[in-house]
Amino acid sequence: MHRKSFLTLLVISLTVCFASANSLPADSGSVCSPPLSMSILSKLALDGIAGDYVTVSAEIKNISAKTITNITTYLSLADEETKLPVDLEDWSAEKGLFIGTIDAGQKFPLEWKIHFVKAGKYSLIIIAEIQGETNVLTSRVTHFAVSPKHNLNPGQVLPVALGMPLFLLVIMMFAAYTRRSRLMKSQ
Amino acid sequence: MFKYILVNELRALLYTWKSMVWFLITSVIFSFASYLFLTDKELSLLDQSEMLWLLSKVIIGTALMIITVDASSTITGEFEKETAESLFLTPLSLKDFVLGKLLASLSLWIAIFLIAVPYIIVVSAGSHVTAAFIMFVLMLGTMLILGFQMMIFGISFLFRSSKNTLTTSLVILLALVLPATFSSTLKNNPLSHFLSVTNPIDNVFSSLDNVLVDYQTTLTGNLKYVFPVLIFCFAAFAFMLYSTKLFKRSGVVKND
Repeated sequence: MHRKSFLTLLVISLTVCFASANSLPADSGSVCSPPLSMSILSKLALDGIAGDYVTVSAEIKNISAKTITNITTYLSLADEETKLPVDLEDWSAEKGLFIGTIDAGQKFPLEWKIHFVKAGKYSLIIIAEIQGETNVLTSRVTHFAVSPKHNLNPGQVLPVALGMPLFLLVIMMFAAYTRRSRLMKSQ
Repeated sequence: MFKYILVNELRALLYTWKSMVWFLITSVIFSFASYLFLTDKELSLLDQSEMLWLLSKVIIGTALMIITVDASSTITGEFEKETAESLFLTPLSLKDFVLGKLLASLSLWIAIFLIAVPYIIVVSAGSHVTAAFIMFVLMLGTMLILGFQMMIFGISFLFRSSKNTLTTSLVILLALVLPATFSSTLKNNPLSHFLSVTNPIDNVFSSLDNVLVDYQTTLTGNLKYVFPVLIFCFAAFAFMLYSTKLFKRSGVVKND
């Protein structure tokens, strides 16, 4: 081999090594998706009126060849208008479901009863986390469209809002009148 | 014998128009709140259950404030006007005296509740929680206010001064009301969670939230909130008993 062609090969191999070394992530630890798959069985979008209950159902499957233990699944709800996460306190009695063991190839059903508390547009995802694993599994987004209750009748409030103070004013005046007439009689 | 005290107190309350002005102001507060809830562009967007919950806070909050002021002066007033001495010279027992004052002060809450009922009906129109909401406001409000009255009466027998009793009672009221207004995320801390579970005002609001938002309209469904309020009532009763015993021991004319 010529010295020139040997040097060219050396430069090329060094460039390839350098480029491949740069393309590696900083953390050289293995980054792999969890050996689980999650599918949402309920509709992609759920709608209702504030106060309604809907059920979000999903299924988690062990796609690996070994048993997986200690899986925690939980919900994450975000308000699409404010772009902020929502406290699930009143929305769901069960925030998370713990799965002790899933055998290889086994499926596990998940179900959450969601209470539409407030009108608005929301997005919900289910997150599955295996204890000790770096990565988590997230479901596709389920969209909620919650419309407000329209059973309020503002027209009814005015007679009460004005009538009650007036009624009490009349009682007060009557009490004052009775007292005065009693005093006049006694004099 | 307590009827004598009760009738006298009620007469003083209903005799002049000046003593009834607070009825009118209370109804104006309720009118203002309910009118805003139903007609304001932003407030009317609130869910009806949330609106009712806010209204319950207005009703119970107003009642607590009025009762605190009234209960702070009803017993101490007798000491400051120096009428307690002549009152206890009559066959009137201390038990009748306290019972009469307690019922008279409680009648203020009943009056506030009766004023609030039309507003509750209007704001809850169309929902199926009206009856349950009225019942729970009456039950929880009565328990909470009775507890507060007994606690304030206990303080009154110890202090025998309107100013000190009123200041102490208002500070206690503030100390219990403020944590009850914290958001649920602030209550995740173990200490604030403990305070929230033991705070009677917080439990009353949580129970009403449970009735209105989660539709738990049974007493058993609300037992975990009702129980701390009951404990507060018993604790206040025990404190009142203790301070009346101290009062009996030291006599009407205190020699400090």
